[in-house]
This record gives sequence, C-alpha cells and structure tokens, in this order.
Amino acid sequence: MNRVMAISWKEWRVALDTPLGYVVAVAFLLAAGFFFGNHLFLVGQAEMRGYFSVMPLLLLFFIPAMTMRMLSDEQRSGTFELLATMPIRTIDIVLGKFVAVMLQISVLLLLTLFYPATLALIGNIDAGQLIAGYLALWLLAGCYVAISLYASALTGHAVVAYVIGLGMLFALFIVTQTMSTFSPGSQDMITALSPISHYQLMLRGVIGLNDVGTFVSVTSIFLALTWFQLERRRWR
Amino acid sequence: MIKAEQLCRKFGDTFAVEALSFHVRKGEVMGLLGPNGAGKSTTMKMLTCFLPPSSGEASIAGVSLKDSLEVRRKVGYLPENAPSYSDLDVRSHLKFVGTMHGLQGATLSDRMDEMSRACGLDQVMHRRIDELSKGYRQRVGLAASMLHDPDCLIFDEPTTGLDPNQIVEIRHLIRRLGEKKTVLLSSHVLPEVEAVCDRMMIIDQGRLQVIGTSAELARQAEGESLLHVRFKDAGDALLRLLMQEFPDLEVKAGDAPFSYTLLHPEADIPLAEHLFHAAVASGTVILEMQSQQTSLEDTFRKLTGGDHE
Repeated sequence: MNRVMAISWKEWRVALDTPLGYVVAVAFLLAAGFFFGNHLFLVGQAEMRGYFSVMPLLLLFFIPAMTMRMLSDEQRSGTFELLATMPIRTIDIVLGKFVAVMLQISVLLLLTLFYPATLALIGNIDAGQLIAGYLALWLLAGCYVAISLYASALTGHAVVAYVIGLGMLFALFIVTQTMSTFSPGSQDMITALSPISHYQLMLRGVIGLNDVGTFVSVTSIFLALTWFQLERRRWR
Repeated sequence: MIKAEQLCRKFGDTFAVEALSFHVRKGEVMGLLGPNGAGKSTTMKMLTCFLPPSSGEASIAGVSLKDSLEVRRKVGYLPENAPSYSDLDVRSHLKFVGTMHGLQGATLSDRMDEMSRACGLDQVMHRRIDELSKGYRQRVGLAASMLHDPDCLIFDEPTTGLDPNQIVEIRHLIRRLGEKKTVLLSSHVLPEVEAVCDRMMIIDQGRLQVIGTSAELARQAEGESLLHVRFKDAGDALLRLLMQEFPDLEVKAGDAPFSYTLLHPEADIPLAEHLFHAAVASGTVILEMQSQQTSLEDTFRKLTGGDHE
C-alpha cells in the first residue's frame, strides 16, 4: 500500500510541477462553470440536471489528457524499466497511477461544488439528487480513468494515448446516446453494460447496486487489461 | 553471488541470449563485454527481473529469479542511459526510489545524504533532472540504484556519455563499491573494464565466448604469432619460401606498398628470425619489422568476429 501511495505521490509532484496539470484543471473548471451557468441563465431554473447531463461529455475530453502521459512516458523514457525492477508488483504500478488520477479528479469535482453551492443561495436544491449525481460522476470518472490508462499503456506516445483514450470514450458515449436506433436486444445490452447509461439512471436520485456494480466492473476490467498490457510487453 | 545456468532469451525466433552460464563471486567486480547487440543488456534485464528468461535459471545471492520480488530487493540496477523522472528534482526522485524500496523516515534521509555525497550530487539536489547534464543524470541513476544498500549491483554501461574526468570518478566509485559489494557491469570500452574489473566475460551473439581475468583472456588470443613487415621492393618470392617452411602461415597484404602481416597459429616459433635469414640470403631489404603483443582488444576482436569486418 505504501508503494502504491508512493507512485501516487510522485504523480502529484509531476502534476504540480508541470504546467499541464494546471492547464487541465483551469480549463476543466472553466468549462464546467460555463455549462452550469449556461443552463442556469438560459433555462432559468435553479437545478443541476443540465449540468450533470453534460458532464460525461466534458470528462471525456479531460480525463484522457490527465492520464495520457502516465504510462506512455514511462515506457518511452525507459523509467518503466526502473519501476519494473523495483520490488513492486505490476498491478501496484497500475493502481498507483489510478489512485493518483482519481485523487486529482476528486479535487476537481470538489472544486465544482462551488456551483451547486451558489445555486443553494438562490433556490432549493435536492440534496439527495446532488449527492447521487456526484457519486455517479465520481464512479463514471473511475471508468474513464481506467479506460484512458489502458490507452496510455498501449503506446509510448502521449498524444497517441490521448487520441486512443478519447476515441474509446467517445465511442462509448455515441453508442449510449444513439441507443434508440439499435434493435431492442442491443438496447438492453447497452443499458446493462454502458457506464454512461447507468450514470443517467443514477441521476434520477436512486443509487442502485447494479449501477455501482457496473462502474466497479468496467473499472476493474480496464485496470486488469492495463496490467496485462504492461506484463505482455515483457514477455514478447 | 550471481549465478546463471543455461540462460536463454528469445525475441521471436532469434536468440538474444543463448545458453549463458556464469558465476560471479561475492565481492567481485565482473565486466560484461561484447559488441553492440551481443546480448549484454538483455542478460542484465533478465538478472534484474525486467525480462523473464525464455529458459534456463539464474539466482542472485541464492534467490532464484522466480522469486522476483525478493531478487529485486537484493539488486541495485542502473539501466542503460540511466532513466530517471525528468520532471522531478533530484531529491524527489531519490525519495521516490527509496520509498519504493521500502525505506522510510530517518533511514531514507540518511541513505539519501550518504548516496548524494558518494555520487557528488550535493550541489544539484534541488535541480530538476531535465536541467542536468548527462554526467549528472548518470550519477543520479547510480545514487538511486544504491539507495537501498543492495549486496549486488548491476550497471548497464555506467560511464557512457561522461567526460574523461567523470569517467575516472565513476571508476573510482565502482572500485570502492567493489570492495564490499558484488558488481556486474557492462561496457564496450575495453580499457575501462580492464581498469575496474577483477574478471570479465566476453559475449557475442548471445553466447559466452570466454570468461576470466584480463591476463587469462589475453592468453587465449596469445596462441599466435603476429609479425608486421615492410620490404623495400617486392617480397613475394621470399614470402612464398617462408610459407613452404611454415605451412600454417597466413599472409595478409598491408596498406603501405610491400608491407605484410604474417600470422601463425603457434606462439613459440622463430618467425622473425627465419624471415631475416631468408631475406639476407635472397638479398631482399627489410625496412621495418615488428612483432606484436596480443592485447585484450585483440582477444575481443578475435572472439567477437571483429576481424572479419
């Protein structure tokens, strides 16, 4: 556990010492604020539904940017060899990186609480819905991070990792959004498997066990794939 | 301390390392020599558990490579080009590496101080690694590899990219380390290996060619006589005569006109003497004649096929 935290600590140092971390954070907060304000002023209702429904699309652009360097840079600069010859299991490397991004995302999401807080001043907001919304968002972010980390393990180039991550997340998003055009059987499958459709279900304010289960499963599967990809490079 | 038995590693269908067996004794500095692509780095990557061997077995301090986490605790490894986290400053990098090796608190900071002193990093501890020169980065890598005070050190080309002063410093450091620790280092700089290592081995195309002290290695190539000669004018007839006398003699024409290199597989034959007498008898004038000592470099070239190029 100590070593997992050491990897996360290192990623924090890198994020705090390089401009990329700040650029992503500021851009994310501005974009989130824009969509929040947009809905509030255009529709004129003191509610968070519009804000929450746009968040999966917003995170889809930002999370691959936060993870793109994490494994690709290690592989390109040769530091992966350094990591892999330390007394630590490969899965701990993957978990360390995952925890690091999840902490960063958590901080960003906590900062966005500023928006509902301002909303609470001018109207009544449904606390249950807000909590369920943020929990769903956090769980969805976990899936995104795992998928993007996998993309980062696939290549030694950060930009390529970003494009692959964005591509996979975007495909997931599009398939979920255009679900109604598919056959009923496919629709059921997408509803069951897509974390985004579970996110939409959770926004209604009900935290279902199978929703949480889907988020956790998708995250675990992609973390396992990431682990597999890193191990595979050594056996090839 | 380091023991390899029939170690093999395949990439696709080609062997990068084939049936490599050797033994490095405790407290010994062993040099691993070979041309580029000979399998030096692959061997080291297997010994440090980065690449699993395709077949064969190896152990470090009695721990089999199969127990990879334990092996990694016992080994300090400096990969080729000394990779380090260029976005971090030296202190953070060392702290990270130390923590990953399970060091904490006062032990960690003591070891960091000790290693930064030993590797001459005191002045740059707060500099970002990507601002440092190649030489300093190499030292950061060395310091990081020794933080957890391992018994066994594996350095892949520790002195590449360093200036002559730094090379001497690093050599001294490795010699000092070698008094207490077992060191395996690779290099293709022969004088360096001769200066630093107790024993050395030469590998080529993944196979062990020879292992021993530098004197032992030179003797391997010594089993031959080498003579450079330059005549005033054509000496063909004379050389033909000599070849009749020594059927195994090999004659190669040199770059300069009428110059030749004579090679005989036996060491103790009076080649120069015979040539002299034959020249006198035939009235051929010898302008230059020099018999050559075999060096580690000759051994290396001979064993790694450098002669054919």
